[in-house]
Amino acid sequence: MVDYASLLIGTTVSGLVLGLIYAALALGYNIVYRVSKAINLAQPEQVLFAAYIAFIATMWAGLNVVAAMALSLVAGFILGGVLERAVARPLRGRPPVALMAATLGVFYLLRGVTMVVSGGFETGSLPVPDELYRFGPIVLGANDIVAIVIAGGSLAALIALHQYTRIGVAMRAVAEDSFGAAAYGLPVKALTLLSWGIAGAAASAAALSLTVKAQVSPTLDYYALKALVASLLAGLDSIAGVVVGGLVLGLSEQYASLFLDPYLKGIGERMAFIIMLIVLLVKPYGLFGTERIERV
Amino acid sequence: MPAGVFKETYRGEMGLLRYPIHYVGLILGLLLLAILPYLIGPYYTGLMVTLMIFTIGAIGLNILTGLAGQISLAHGALMGVGAYTAAFLALYYGVNILVAIPIAGLAAAFAGFILGLPSFRLKEYYLAMASIAAQVLLEYSFSLVDPDQYTPVPDEAKVIAGINLGEGLPLYYTTLAFTAIMALAAANIGRSSLGRAMKAVGDNDVAAEIIGINVTRTKAIAFTIAGFYAGVAGGLYALMNTGIDWEAFKLDTSIEYLAIILVGGPGRVVWGSLLGALTIRTGWTMLESLLNEMLAAMGLLVAVSAFKYIILGGIVVAFIVLEPEGLIAVLRRIKEYFRLWPYSY
Repeated sequence: MVDYASLLIGTTVSGLVLGLIYAALALGYNIVYRVSKAINLAQPEQVLFAAYIAFIATMWAGLNVVAAMALSLVAGFILGGVLERAVARPLRGRPPVALMAATLGVFYLLRGVTMVVSGGFETGSLPVPDELYRFGPIVLGANDIVAIVIAGGSLAALIALHQYTRIGVAMRAVAEDSFGAAAYGLPVKALTLLSWGIAGAAASAAALSLTVKAQVSPTLDYYALKALVASLLAGLDSIAGVVVGGLVLGLSEQYASLFLDPYLKGIGERMAFIIMLIVLLVKPYGLFGTERIERV
Repeated sequence: MPAGVFKETYRGEMGLLRYPIHYVGLILGLLLLAILPYLIGPYYTGLMVTLMIFTIGAIGLNILTGLAGQISLAHGALMGVGAYTAAFLALYYGVNILVAIPIAGLAAAFAGFILGLPSFRLKEYYLAMASIAAQVLLEYSFSLVDPDQYTPVPDEAKVIAGINLGEGLPLYYTTLAFTAIMALAAANIGRSSLGRAMKAVGDNDVAAEIIGINVTRTKAIAFTIAGFYAGVAGGLYALMNTGIDWEAFKLDTSIEYLAIILVGGPGRVVWGSLLGALTIRTGWTMLESLLNEMLAAMGLLVAVSAFKYIILGGIVVAFIVLEPEGLIAVLRRIKEYFRLWPYSY
């Protein structure tokens, strides 16, 4: 233990960066949950899909990185919209578990499509300069900074959209009470479609921030599955809460791999699910979520 | 003479075998199952064994999800608990497999009970996510107890009265006997007060509690039974294979189990599970070799498992959106159509 302090700082920094990515990944779950009252389990594969679109566009079609990112955002938006129209809308009025099981089917479908598409490609990261920047004791790579900018930017943009724009107010109204919103003349179906599209675009943004950090490979969806914990911790219907949820998840994962790994190998990877069980048992509606009151 | 068979008692109405066709069907069906391996050859007999094992597992999940309405994505891991219990008992203690399988069932039933504890507080997708977490953590513990990903199941433990139950015809008949007993027990659950309580809890647990059903107890029993079925399926899986590997009990298996009952018919405990397992498990195995040849002929390098995901996912989505009652409802519609054919009503 020559340099314990810098090890601790490094772990904290990477935990925070990872946490921000988790928060961006978790956004998609919460946006969908607010309007459809169900967890979109296809989200991990939407992330994977978007990552592959950006990756293939840059590496094989030779597009500029920024153009590929824009393409991936648009594709994510369209994919989200298609999912709403094809799967979520026919299931309106059915128990939410039906939608969850259906998105599980979409999860498989998209995984298969991604496997076919990615069949001949090698894995790799998006091309980002590998320079290191030092801010006092903190060391950040260029890819860290890109990830922070994309993840933080998409979080800020979506929180602002929900909080300050007219469309955001309308989406909040639909989330609160879709019948009431319809009675006030809001186009509930269109807003639900829009929300799913935005969730898809958010998944793309999160995928982009992930691709500069991790290798693009079929196991990328595991990160998105773990991000479910961040969204649970925040409360499924809270938007800004995912930042707290993501940071807690990222930090605890990094600390667990630092301190506990010598005793239990691979515990860091599973830390997310331990947190998930604890949250579900102690505070199922999360830190910022609204509690459900049931009537017969 | 009355035109048809009429029942004079409620008991008669509730019987499993109500009409002459049921008796005829039972006798013919049992006869067919008894001589089946001689008709279809060893390859399809092997497929039948896998089909029966997965039917047992699916029956357990169907009782839990179809009847009691508790969604679980940890069924594959529960099957793993059963398989590892049976394999370790056979390997380290030399316990005969016929004894080890029921013990495996009990071990998985206990694990199922533990998995059911969150259900007292959680519902619907919160419960589903708790079960995903449980699945991942169980996978992790499998990787700790079996780091080589291979636990052999010794042949000595499979021999009884000089016959090796682990292969060929003896394996078929052993699995058939287990399946028949487990399926009969499952069919009777739906007719008992326990099954009706489960249906009430599945429809609306708050309302069920108001009419005096002990919801906590019913949920706990449903999880325990589901665990037992998964455990027996796991034990039979250990009997079928020379060694077990936890790759077979990952989240994919749990999703596949859920797909089996959603496609077959949730709530139709025996027939729904059988139809689902037949479509998803056996159907895929037979399609796989065909697809492999086609892909090789076309010179594509894509893994055939990619198509498994696409087909399985597509089927699940299509059934949930278009036919939530599953294949069994499709069959019923076909039957009704031909009952009055060619008239519409």
